[in-house]
Amino acid sequence: MKRIMIDYQKCDGCKNCSIACMQAHRETQGTVYDLDLTDPRNESRNRILKDADGQYKPLFCRHCDDPKCVESCMSGALYKDPESGHVFYDETRCGSCFMCVMNCPFGVIKPDAVTKSKVVKCDFCVNAGGEPSCVASCPKQAIYVEEV
Amino acid sequence: MKYVIIGAGIAGAQAAKTIREKDNAGEIVMISADTHVHSRCMLHKFIAGERDEKGLDFTEKDFFEKFNIDWKKGVRVEQVCPQQKEIVLDNGEKISYDKLLLANGADSFIPPVGELRKASNVYGLRNLSDAQAIVKEAETAENVLVIGSGLVGLDAAYGLLERGKKITIVEMVDRILPVQLDVHAANAYQKLFENAGVRFVLGQKASEAVCEADGKIHKITLDNGEELACDIVIVAAGVRPSLACLEGSGIQCDRGITVDAGLKTSQPDIYAAGDITGLSGIWPNAANQGKIAGENMCGGSETYIDTYAIKNTINFFGLVTLCVGRIQEEEGDQIQIKEDKTQYKRIILKEGRVEGVLLQGDISHAGTWQYLIKNKIDVSKIEKNIFDINFADFYHVDEKGQYEWVS
Repeated sequence: MKRIMIDYQKCDGCKNCSIACMQAHRETQGTVYDLDLTDPRNESRNRILKDADGQYKPLFCRHCDDPKCVESCMSGALYKDPESGHVFYDETRCGSCFMCVMNCPFGVIKPDAVTKSKVVKCDFCVNAGGEPSCVASCPKQAIYVEEV
Repeated sequence: MKYVIIGAGIAGAQAAKTIREKDNAGEIVMISADTHVHSRCMLHKFIAGERDEKGLDFTEKDFFEKFNIDWKKGVRVEQVCPQQKEIVLDNGEKISYDKLLLANGADSFIPPVGELRKASNVYGLRNLSDAQAIVKEAETAENVLVIGSGLVGLDAAYGLLERGKKITIVEMVDRILPVQLDVHAANAYQKLFENAGVRFVLGQKASEAVCEADGKIHKITLDNGEELACDIVIVAAGVRPSLACLEGSGIQCDRGITVDAGLKTSQPDIYAAGDITGLSGIWPNAANQGKIAGENMCGGSETYIDTYAIKNTINFFGLVTLCVGRIQEEEGDQIQIKEDKTQYKRIILKEGRVEGVLLQGDISHAGTWQYLIKNKIDVSKIEKNIFDINFADFYHVDEKGQYEWVS
């Protein structure tokens, strides 16, 4: 499967990846120049964390080999695609219980900020040809796609 | 090899899928009283009329065909005979097995108060059949009495509110969701339910309930003498593992079926997973147990390690809550609280370790708390506000790009 690899020491916290993710998943049409960063519907699936020393640590869904979010999903909304190996989310099946939020050991998943009825999760930009927008936007090659 | 699985909940389904991945040729038979595969966590959505039976199915499309599983539905297991290596169904049929999984779950517990157990309008909320019966009864009913204000009791009320019923919830303790929440967080839900028209009677127990001529209970008397009118009674007072069919089988049981770390029972070639083990009532744990039992039924040697089960998420009226670990304060605790108009967060710290977390309103990225609590990780050296601790403080990426915890 393809995974977004992370070389965190190269990350300088510019958050281009987060903007690219928001742009890739916005509901409205438009370019990054009219992306409304204050609209709570425009949420990033990735996040740049900082440890106590100020080092940036990129938090991106790993599409784990043994995904704990899928194991905790009581509706069948989250599933590991046997072909691509990616963990996808079918919003129409989601029961909004958020056990996946509780069970992701890395804290990747969150409920959506507006309706609290679905989760915000990386889809590997499958609707944009499966080339993750975050990776394309990283100026430091701190994230890159690799077959694992 | 013939694998027989009793129960079509997540433990049974997960085991079946795992077995098929390991053994392409073996015969898999699944037996369930349920006629629809359904997620019990979504029964309130059926009661509310928001989803039909199919909408409760948690399995992938064409599950039984895809994994070549012979599903016998609408039948109950009456007897398990380890000596003969067979089970007996309530239709008289005998089914032999090489490996057997007991994943037949639990049953609602109806306390022996008055004639609750005898009445025809008293229901638990455990199976789709319960939800179907409640919906049918609700067609003519007006007053609903719910006994117990835990998650199941509130689920029942939440669903029936959509049908415009007058709902009263009786709770023994002086606040709702006493197992999951502290007073502050519980009050937030109580207000939301009250605003929607639900009445709570707290700190009271049902003491008398008599069937009338129609076989139904139309009023319940409380400890304080108050009488509550009802057309339906929903009892949400916990569950008990479904052990009835094991009588005389020699399978060792305590609260649930006794299993070893590999989920094997005391009898050869018989495994157990899910609520019937009494190990946990939590979905992810049942799924994990099903997977492990399935592996071991195919000759594997997996062990059930991730046993932590003091965890819940709650979502009513769009107010979400996550609670992991201890809720009650103890001597020597350091309690940290963060509150504003959108959220309430409370952390219990003891000797540098997080023992309990309660997050209400905002549970974003909260999965790390479970890991911190169940692994008793020392956070005292991290120079951060406790609420800002996250995976960055334990971050490692392995050569395959997967995250690992280091501390």
